[in-house]
Amino acid sequence: MWQKNKPYLLLFPAIGTIVLLFFGGLFDGFLKSLGYFPALDQKDFNFTAYRELFRSSEFWESLILTLRVAFLSSLFAAVLGAIIAIFLFMMKESTNGSNSSIWYRLFQLPLTIPHLVGGYIIVLLFMQSGFLSRIATNLGFIETISEFPVLVNDSFGWGIILTYAWKEAPFISLMIYPVLSRIHSSWRDVSRVFGASRWNYVREIVIPVMMPAWTIATFIVFVFTFSAFEVPFLLGVTYPSTLPVYSYQLYTSGTLADRPEALAVNIILASFTVLLGLVVYAVNKRWNALKGWD
Amino acid sequence: MSDLRIINVEKQYKQPQQKDNPAFSLHPINLTIHEGEFFSLLGPSGCGKTSLLKLVAGLLQADNGEIWIGDQNLTQVPSEARNFAMVFQQSLLFPHMTVEDNVAFGLKMQKVDKKQRLSKARDMLEHVGLQSFGSRFPDELSGGQQQRVALARALVANPRVLLMDEPFSALDPGLREEMRDLLSRIQLEFHVTVLFVTHDREEAFSLSDRIAVMSRGEFLQVGTAKELYERPLTTKVASFLGLKNIIEGNVESGYFRSTDGSFEFIVDATTKNGLSCLIVRPEAMQLVTEDSPTLISGIQIQGIVEQMKFNHGFYSVKISAGESHLTCSLTSQQAATLCVGQTIALQIEKKELWVVND
Repeated sequence: MWQKNKPYLLLFPAIGTIVLLFFGGLFDGFLKSLGYFPALDQKDFNFTAYRELFRSSEFWESLILTLRVAFLSSLFAAVLGAIIAIFLFMMKESTNGSNSSIWYRLFQLPLTIPHLVGGYIIVLLFMQSGFLSRIATNLGFIETISEFPVLVNDSFGWGIILTYAWKEAPFISLMIYPVLSRIHSSWRDVSRVFGASRWNYVREIVIPVMMPAWTIATFIVFVFTFSAFEVPFLLGVTYPSTLPVYSYQLYTSGTLADRPEALAVNIILASFTVLLGLVVYAVNKRWNALKGWD
Repeated sequence: MSDLRIINVEKQYKQPQQKDNPAFSLHPINLTIHEGEFFSLLGPSGCGKTSLLKLVAGLLQADNGEIWIGDQNLTQVPSEARNFAMVFQQSLLFPHMTVEDNVAFGLKMQKVDKKQRLSKARDMLEHVGLQSFGSRFPDELSGGQQQRVALARALVANPRVLLMDEPFSALDPGLREEMRDLLSRIQLEFHVTVLFVTHDREEAFSLSDRIAVMSRGEFLQVGTAKELYERPLTTKVASFLGLKNIIEGNVESGYFRSTDGSFEFIVDATTKNGLSCLIVRPEAMQLVTEDSPTLISGIQIQGIVEQMKFNHGFYSVKISAGESHLTCSLTSQQAATLCVGQTIALQIEKKELWVVND
């Protein structure tokens, strides 16, 4: 009995902490989003916060911005990450791996930099008084720095998108590269003998092989960028703001009455994430893209 | 005629990092393989067979020389445009594609429309006995079936030359034999030119029209299986083909004399004087019994039986004759009358005595 239960008991402190802090917090937030707020003497359950939220134009604009930022960030990071991974893979094939490990480490560098620092780098590079605009001015491409497009703290969210694309592309390549490493070194020879050009090889062999890992990595980036806070807070504008920032603004607005709405935003974010997870799981299962390996 | 001609092709590899290992080089090779011929490169591992195959395929760039097919010079033509096909040691099927898609891969690269290429792939799968396996994935097939698919993939695009790099070496012996039969049948049916690499002499003998024996990056001898086995040009070729009865001696004044004096006979006038070796095939030695006819032209030797081993329906008998140790093949009936330590007489016809100058 003791032997059978021992692993569970040993895991209990860790699991208990996670359940208490994560699921406990989520559950507490869910209750408060339903109007259960004993501190304000509100003990009834209702959907007022959700109703108010769905009626407010601020919420919808915020949702559109969040979806746009998450979609474009994931798209750019996915394309960039795949290009990096394929480039590294091709280099490893053509040079027998002598230089590719150095490049591999170099491309991994952004992974080590915190998001907040990444955000600051983008600010320093892309703001109108930033590094790039001054170079462009000095080279004569633009006359004054004010002609440089507003890419940071803009209402479209370019600054946030650029930060995430730069920061998450190495993550995607890191997820894809080990899959590409499994490609048999002789497959290129096989494909060549049967008439495949380099591009045919990439299209017919490399991309299908990396597709499952690529989809999952892109999904992770999408979910992360959809619910991340610090970069949109640093590089976004006050209105419209992304949903996590909007939730923070509501929560810290100074009135406790806004808190159920703030927590309702968080519950919507969490529900959307779970829903996306289920969709990707179903798609991957239907694709059965790993069929035939091993 | 679309003969494959390899003209003075050579390849020098870079010096490896361990200086005591000399850099491998493929010496200039000249060879013509006729259209529809089954040609094998036979040699031990590391002798340059696969390098030569890859040079022909265009997967390696030759330092010198030319490769022609018919009147077309292929030397600078990239591998993907040569219209060759290749079967490797491993099946190397693409795991994310079904068997049918794998077979149709070459046709897809040739931009054949989907309906036509899948129909051709199904036809070819029928030829290799896998008609109902088209929708499966490679991991659902056995090793032998995978190699059949690889063969179907190679043949479906009607290649000018089929290159095969030890395709059956990873299969178990029974399956290997089955695959050899299949390959022979298919090669005759499609009349495809085959360049086959193997280190298995039985495989080369059973499949090939002609064989090149290779060692250290050069051809030692090219000929039919019978020519190579009965008339090896050097003791190296003889050893590689499993001929163990190699007796050192000397040719002088039209006579071969073995070093220990146990063999002495007249040789052809064409045989050069000097240090030579006598090569005797095991089955060329006949046991002398009271009933056996005496050979008019031949030699007789006495020997003591050292060892007897049963081997595929006959006995392999080791005898010592003078300082030489010889192996002869005897029937079970003949072997039944012998025992270890017994002195026996063997006779060899003159035409079976093969002397080479090394």
